[in-house]
Formats: sequence, C-alpha cells, structure tokens
Amino acid sequence: MAVSALELRRSPARAGSRWGRSSSLLVRRRRRMGLLLTLPALALITLLIVIPIGQAAYYSFTEWNGVTTTWIGVSAWTQAFHNPTMWRVMENNALLLLAVPVALAIPLGIAVLLHQHVAGWKVFRSIYFLPTAISWVVIGLVAEHFFAYSGTLNSILDFLGFHKAHTNLLGYQSTALIALGITFIFSMIGTNTMLFLTGMATLDPSQEEAARIDGAGAWKVFRHITLPHLTRFIQLAFVITVISAFSALFSLIFVMTGGGPGYSTTTMEFFVYQTGFSQAQFGTAALYGLILFFIMAVVGIFQLRLLGAKD
Amino acid sequence: MTAVLDTPVVPVKATARQVRRRIGRAVLLAVMIAVAGVMLYPFIVMIVTSFKTESQYLLGRGTSLKSWEDLNQTLPIGQELLNSTIICSAAIFIVLVVGGAAGFAFAKLQFRGSNVVFLTVVSAMMVPLQAILMPEYVNMAKLGFTTSYFGAVIVYAALGTPFSIFLFTTYFRRIPDELIEAGIVDGLGYSGVLTRLILPIALPAIATVTVLQFIQIWDDLLVGLLFLQNPSQRPITVGLAALASGRVTSIPELLAGSLVSALPAMLVYLGFQRFLIQGLTMGIDR
Repeated sequence: MAVSALELRRSPARAGSRWGRSSSLLVRRRRRMGLLLTLPALALITLLIVIPIGQAAYYSFTEWNGVTTTWIGVSAWTQAFHNPTMWRVMENNALLLLAVPVALAIPLGIAVLLHQHVAGWKVFRSIYFLPTAISWVVIGLVAEHFFAYSGTLNSILDFLGFHKAHTNLLGYQSTALIALGITFIFSMIGTNTMLFLTGMATLDPSQEEAARIDGAGAWKVFRHITLPHLTRFIQLAFVITVISAFSALFSLIFVMTGGGPGYSTTTMEFFVYQTGFSQAQFGTAALYGLILFFIMAVVGIFQLRLLGAKD
Repeated sequence: MTAVLDTPVVPVKATARQVRRRIGRAVLLAVMIAVAGVMLYPFIVMIVTSFKTESQYLLGRGTSLKSWEDLNQTLPIGQELLNSTIICSAAIFIVLVVGGAAGFAFAKLQFRGSNVVFLTVVSAMMVPLQAILMPEYVNMAKLGFTTSYFGAVIVYAALGTPFSIFLFTTYFRRIPDELIEAGIVDGLGYSGVLTRLILPIALPAIATVTVLQFIQIWDDLLVGLLFLQNPSQRPITVGLAALASGRVTSIPELLAGSLVSALPAMLVYLGFQRFLIQGLTMGIDR
C-alpha cells in the first residue's frame, strides 16, 4: 500500500489510471528481476573477494599456520612494521615505481611513430602489440636468457666492442632489480602504446593541420595539441602501469629471480607468497596482503575517479 | 623584377623540403623497424633456440630438431594445453553469464540501492589476488576444491566478474529502455528479452570480455600454481614455470614449450585485436 502510494506521488500524471497501476506493478517486477539477476555475481564476489578480505583482517592479528590460530593482537602489526625485511621489500616496490615514467614515455614515442601512418603502419602496430598476448612467464624466461652471463645482452656488448663491460645483472643484489624493471617496462609497452594510439585516433586531424599552417613545428604541435588531448589516456595508462607494478610482477619474479638474490627483487606481492608458502607464516602473510590491499585501494580511488569522471 | 628573381627560388626550396621529408621518412622507417626488432625479440629467441640441442645452444651454432622431439617427455604439453583450455572455457563461461546478467540489471533494471551495489562491485576490481591470497587458499583447500579444476575456475571467475560487470553495464546503458519495455509488453518476459533481444546486441561486449579474460587466464601463473594441487591438472603456463624453477631443464626445450604455450593467445589476439583495444579503453573513449 505504502509503495503504491509512493509510486502515485511520483507519477501524478498517471495517478488513478489503470495504466498507472499496472506500470507500478511493472516497476516492482523490474526491480525484483534486477535484484535476481545480480545475485549470482554478488554471491561470487562476496564469497571469494569480500569475505576473504574480512578473514585477512582477522588473521592479520593472529599467528596462523592454516590450521590453528593464536590471537596475538596489535603486536602482530607492530612486529611487522619493525621487520626490516618488509621495509626492504617496500623499498623495492618504491624503486620499481621509477620504471613507470619510462613505461609511459617509450610507448608515447612509439605511438607518435605509428600515428605518422607510414605505409604498412598497421603491420608495425600488430608487431608492437604482439608481446601483449604472451604470458609474463614466457617473457620472464626470455628475459632471463637476455640478461644471463652468456646471454644476448653480453653478445651485443661484445659485438659493439665492449668486451670488458660484461654484465650479469640478475646475479647481483645491486643490479637484479634493474633487470626486473627493464623487463617490466618491456612488458608494458604493448598495452600503453595501444592506449595512446587509441587516444591519438580520437584527435581531430584538422586541429594539428591548423597549428602546422600557423607555423608550429612538430614538437610544438605535439606539446600543445596532441599531449593535452591525451591527458585522460595518459592518466589511465599511469594507473594501469602502477597497478601492474604492484600486482602483476609475480610471474616475472617467480621465473627470473625467485625474489633474489637475497630479497633484492622481492616485491610486496611476492613477499606475501613467500611468507605464506615458503615460511608457512599464514597470519603474517595475510597481514602483508592487507598492506598491499590498502596501497591498491589508494590507487583504486584514483582510478574510479578517472573512470567516473565522465558520468 | 622581383618576380623574375623569385621564380627560380621557389622550386629549389620545394625540392629541399622534399629531400628533407624523404630523409625524415627514411629515418622514421628505420626507427620503426628497429622497434619491431625489439618487440619481436622474444619470438625470435624462442624460435631460434628451440631448434638447437642444449650443447648447440651453449656453443651458439648448429641446428637440430631434438628439442621438439623430446618436448613431450619433458612437458606433458598436450595434457597441459587441454587443462588450460578447460579452465579458460569454464571460467569465461561463468564470467559471461554472471557478469552479463548483473551488468544488464545494473544498467536497465535498477533496484533500490543498485548504484551502491554497483560501486562496491566495481571496487572489487581493484583487489589483487595477492591481497587475499592466504584466506582464499585456505578456504579452497579446506573445501577440497584444490584437487579438481573447480577451485581455480571459480577463483578466476570471481576475479574476472567485476570487470565484466563494469564493461557490460557501460555497454547496456546505451540500449534504449523502450526496446526492453516493448519486449515485456509483447509478452516476451525477462528471459525472452534477455535471450532474444539483448543477447544478439551484446555480442561485441561478449567478444571483448572473452578475449580479455582468455588472455588473462591463459597467461596467468599464480592461481594455477596454488589452486591446482594435482600436477596432472596443471595448465601450460604453470607447467612452464615449474619446469623453469627446476633449474635442470634444457633451455631449448623450455623455450620450445614457451612457444607452443604462446601460440593460442597470439592467435586469439591477432584475430580479435579490435575487441582487446575496446576493452582496454572502455569508459574513456566514448
């Protein structure tokens, strides 16, 4: 009764008519159907994503080996924050963020090349995007071969005459992260180039033409017309790259370094796995996972604002 | 007088510009070919190395078919490709049905609080598996789901559903309400509207979700590594990673396996590039 009164007030034009009543019935049926259709998705997401977050929060205050749990309270968190290894790992994450600008700049350059639309540019586009399709496990395997002491990098150095500059980036604590970072940049090129090229395709060519006629050089056109137009695409690529740096490197690390030498290539996501499955400290691993979750939440808020900006 | 002086100057300037442009194009093409070389490097390495024996690989010369002949003994490649296919298909099917239905509801059948629910669901997109890895793993293991495909399939489905809902909702918002209302008034019912009106319209969105999810799941390591405890159910990517971490494996065989594992995703990608790009820029380019 109360519901239909509300419906009547909402649509005064239809009030009292037969159509009005049947439409409110339709509205109710529509809402019920809407709820029904979302239920499977809600169940799946609640059971496999939301509840585990709650569990992780609980277990982060305990000592947990997967079977028995002992409550240790806040000291679990203070201990974690006093663990120098965790800070070492966080430092690796921070250092990897230095790769992000490069992982944006190179694809931006490549997108500009493709945007010149020289004959056969579509073939080049397909080639540039191709590594996007293959697993980072495979990229990691190839990268290991590239950086190895008897690998391609040293062959190139030999060829160029730098016989004494032989490298073994993956072999040392001080340099392994550089190799990982370079591989990460390579792995992001396809996706980011794709984003930028899509952005450039939405640019009105007459704008660039007009600027050129006004005497602007190639750099000026890029700086004042193309780049401002790409802002949203660059923001999106930035967010995707940062998310990947925090949560997509597992495959590369697993295959290339296993987190080593020492902890030199262990990032937060890999640390969760190591702590849980190599050291069987499930509670601490859950805690590290939660820290990762908070970091991603901050990035996520930025992304939601970006995606929602148009609505 | 000035006109006479000017005329010969103009064509000279033009040819100078033409020459400069031609040089510019040549440099551009050279740079593009160089970049292509870098991007093709993984494929070149895999192809070249796979046609060597271990000793030829270390020596740096010679070719052989031995790695390809021995591949199946090192890596049960047929079984693992089959496992990958089963897991991918099952997970994608769930993601499409569950995500498509919810996306349609969020776009066209809004109920009280549906916007809040939608935002919550979309936020779930940002939760990486690593953040909830421990509870997820223990839950699945306790339920006995890690000894069959089921555990990995529903974990993939849950991880893929939020993005699929986001994509479907954005897509369905563009369908006019009148179309659905007309279907209902004509007595199709909601199941009829969904299968006869919406499904055909939704094909491009379905293709986008399928391609993105296929590449994501086919290429993934973490879920397969932890949620499939039975080695005979391993997908190809996990098989490769496990082999690589063994450290005794012949590198040519490993790279031959890598090439085989990469082929399906590459073919899907080359065939459906368009949908991949659409999915990546969803919600920004329109």
